[in-house]
Amino acid sequence: MTNNFPLINILILMISAFTAPLIKDFKKTSILVLTTSGLLLASTGATLIETIKNGHYILNIGHPDTFLGIQFYISNAEALIAFVFAVIALMTIIYSNSCIKSEIEENRIGLFYTLVNILIASLLGVVYSNDLFNSYVFIEVSTLSACGLIVIKDKKENIKATIKYLVMSSIGSGLVLMAIAYLYSITGHLNMTLAGQVIAINHMNYTNSILIILTLFTVGLGVKSALFPLHGWLPDAHSSAPSPSSALLSSMVIKVYIFMLIKMIFRMFTLEIVKSTVILDVILLLGSCGMIFGSVMAITQKELKRMVAYSSIAQVGYIAFGLGLGSIGGMTIAVYHIIGHALTKSGLFLLSGLMIKKNKSKYIDDLKGIGREMPFALILFTLASFSMVGIPVFPGFISKWYLSLACIDIGRIPLILIILASSLLNLLYYFPIVINGFFGQNNLQGKVYNSKKIEKAKIAPVAVLIVLMTLTGLFSSTILEIISASFI
Amino acid sequence: MEGLLVNYYETASIVLFGVGFTTLMFHNNLIKKIIGLNIMDTAIFLFFIAKGYIAGGEAPIIRNGFKGALNYVNPVPTALMLTGIVVAVTTTAFALGLTIKLNEKYGTIDLEKIMEMRGNSDDE
Repeated sequence: MTNNFPLINILILMISAFTAPLIKDFKKTSILVLTTSGLLLASTGATLIETIKNGHYILNIGHPDTFLGIQFYISNAEALIAFVFAVIALMTIIYSNSCIKSEIEENRIGLFYTLVNILIASLLGVVYSNDLFNSYVFIEVSTLSACGLIVIKDKKENIKATIKYLVMSSIGSGLVLMAIAYLYSITGHLNMTLAGQVIAINHMNYTNSILIILTLFTVGLGVKSALFPLHGWLPDAHSSAPSPSSALLSSMVIKVYIFMLIKMIFRMFTLEIVKSTVILDVILLLGSCGMIFGSVMAITQKELKRMVAYSSIAQVGYIAFGLGLGSIGGMTIAVYHIIGHALTKSGLFLLSGLMIKKNKSKYIDDLKGIGREMPFALILFTLASFSMVGIPVFPGFISKWYLSLACIDIGRIPLILIILASSLLNLLYYFPIVINGFFGQNNLQGKVYNSKKIEKAKIAPVAVLIVLMTLTGLFSSTILEIISASFI
Repeated sequence: MEGLLVNYYETASIVLFGVGFTTLMFHNNLIKKIIGLNIMDTAIFLFFIAKGYIAGGEAPIIRNGFKGALNYVNPVPTALMLTGIVVAVTTTAFALGLTIKLNEKYGTIDLEKIMEMRGNSDDE
């Protein structure tokens, strides 16, 4: 029974997605969606406990005991990522219950929940699936629902950002499908395990084809996960979307595709074969450029949400960096960073949404002195930015520390300089907001501080996310051990 | 060279893929971009289905007894591409819908012009 939970999760989410818009009453819709995500949290938790206890397992769908049907491959990394996604989804939905009415039109709220549920279902599908074509379909579903989540706010900006995102990710999915077609033509399988076995036997005959396939996959999935030179769509899309959507997009959507790349490189192509090509070095280079460039661009931004969005590009750079190191340690830390950053960035986006709404301005300059008005929110923001900058104990620090150790392990010590530079750059754009927020005086004239009351319904979910983020940092050794069990 | 002629399905589909890809990348008109997207997708469908074709094979439906695996075309690529077509149609429909909206709001479907209009679009 527990073994079937991953499939049941996706089905429940889909059913809930298509029931939500049929219910006219907002209260009932939100109860339905909350129940679904509560169930999701419980069952992903059960799956996680199961995989930690008994190791990875394969879930055959449709045809038990054959390789004909679609297959899910659930190991610790997948289960952990799914669990974190379920937490973020639940918290974002609680947050949006209290404030979505102010961001989008009333008659679109049901659709909003539909899109959120489809998005989470398809992301879980990409995470779990061991079948390439099935992954492709889930990728497309997630792209379309992500586009929907941006354009649900019917503004000029949003439509422009969405069409840019849609065009870019259509290029990406075209390349991914082409890669799958090539792979199918040389292996005859769409199942990652079986294709991997064929590649292991005769990869020497197909060195060029494998290079082409890897390039297509890297570029295709890179576009969708905003890897450095292909990130053009991200700042517009993530900054113009309603805050709950931004949180989901930035913390979950861009991570899933790069996780799929990690899965394929580790399980299907295997590290030895990939290392004989240049792909890993290219990913490393793009990751490093992204880490520096994303941070530099973030410094120059004037709008809060755009700044946080550019910081996501830098963080995807870290994940690509970990993958590009080409060692087990690097991959483990890449997955750890996916989890740590997902929790941090969703918190940051939700807090930015709160601050922007309170302050009625999206510009960073107007946020001076915000700490006097919403001290609790700014404290949470400070904790999240500690993690981004890499203050010890927080997950950002752990990622950077272990990435550096992984660099030393493979004997590429100069790469540590890139990590250091990126950390310092992070400091330059997160700390001014915090310092000015607490100590800035400029904006205080003419404002009445009658609003010191804490908006519990909005702050509580964010607080949970930030607390979980801190715990991820505190128990990093346990979590890293759990993740590394799936990279053997 | 001979390889290209023998595998003419693959050659044609790669050429089509290139045409679609460049159209999608380098045209600013959104309608042309969407057409490029469709050409690109169709090229992949052709490539995929050509992989499953067996010369002289019949449709994979068993009538009058099983004639051996080589006498039927491989149904898997065809079935997959059916899904692929559905996905492509959905993306196209969504993109066209957005184009209509974009035309309503900006009065043009030229992506470059729309990107330039950034300065005066801060309407909040």
